[in-house]
Amino acid sequence: MNDLPPTEHDLHAYVDRQLNEADRDRVARYLSANPELAEQVRAWQHDAQHLRAALSGALHLTPNPQLDPAAIRHNRRRQRGRQWATAAALFVAVSLGSVGGWHARTVNLASHMLPMADALQAYRMFALKDGMANDWTLATSTDAQSWLDRHFARADRIPDLAGAGFTPVGGRMISTEQGAAAMLVYQDANGRKVSFYIRPPGPQHYLLDRGARRDGELQADYWSSDEYNYALVAPADDPAVEPVRRGLGRAI
Amino acid sequence: MHGIDDQLRELLPRLRRFAQSLTRNPTSADDLVQASLEKALGAWAGKQPDGDLRAWLFAIVYRQFLDAHRSASRYKRVLELFTGSQDDHYAPSAERTVVAQTTLAAFERLPHEQRAILLWVTVEGLRYQEIAEILNVPIGTVMSRLSRARQALRQLSDGEITSPALRVLK
Repeated sequence: MNDLPPTEHDLHAYVDRQLNEADRDRVARYLSANPELAEQVRAWQHDAQHLRAALSGALHLTPNPQLDPAAIRHNRRRQRGRQWATAAALFVAVSLGSVGGWHARTVNLASHMLPMADALQAYRMFALKDGMANDWTLATSTDAQSWLDRHFARADRIPDLAGAGFTPVGGRMISTEQGAAAMLVYQDANGRKVSFYIRPPGPQHYLLDRGARRDGELQADYWSSDEYNYALVAPADDPAVEPVRRGLGRAI
Repeated sequence: MHGIDDQLRELLPRLRRFAQSLTRNPTSADDLVQASLEKALGAWAGKQPDGDLRAWLFAIVYRQFLDAHRSASRYKRVLELFTGSQDDHYAPSAERTVVAQTTLAAFERLPHEQRAILLWVTVEGLRYQEIAEILNVPIGTVMSRLSRARQALRQLSDGEITSPALRVLK
């Protein structure tokens, strides 16, 4: 038997079962005579199996009623032209320079998003970074409350989380569709971070009932005053953060 | 009344999984699926796609993702212009680093083109020809991309390369 060596194309098609029977046999024969190549092909097959197994869980996500075709049809009639591109700009931070300590950050939010999704996104984008560019830090001459009051005239007092070991370490302004928002990051002695987030309720004056929701590894506790929406974002499962949430319940 | 709806419902978990593998963020993934379904339903009313509905939907999701990704990149360049920093929007979490030896972790580190092609071929079992049509490239291009993706996945899984960004460039 004098088989031609399989091309790389053949080898991939062999792994992916996209060869006809004759070619499959030909490649299998060649591989049995060439253990080094066979080893490579086996590794690809293993990777493929592992990937299939690893991603099989992602087929069993919690149903999202907003994705049902009937709901989509309904939405299509209601709101035309909403662009995924604007929602995707969630990943994006745009700096307009640092004039006067003001860092505008664009956090575009699709209007249908879950409560305080921008607070969670801001936490992921900025708070987790050690080098977060701050508009307020401990080195700033004013304290965190004064800094916040400068931008939000009638804001609630910032939560005092010192009892749980968390103190403010940095803050930054963020721009959202609903207007300017601010995130104040607290940290404990072990470097854990929680964030206090404030923004206006937007043109529709959309105020929130007190609630909490989990998003991946994070939990947002949210509430509203007459003027603003607030969220406290923290790791969902970290016992060290529990006292913060309990303290928050008393503080507001 | 809407014949396509049941087929869409059936394919929804696959579309969400694909979108998650692209965006690496459940909320953004569902946004992407939602926008893609809006587009699909709009296009469906005019012209029904030839061939496999699943491949047609993957193509829509992928194009929507690319559009958003491009505009995101533009904003990112603006940001870098102002701050001079490489504000990487996807920094692997500590957890990801710890489990970097698994195939899934290696997969998540691949560029999105490679994630898409590996998912289509190895997980969804699409034919190479279908992928060529989705990407609108010749089948030879599909093969060379697949080959690069497989090798990259292999190397990352073996820990041969921890991250391309860690290489010293002189």
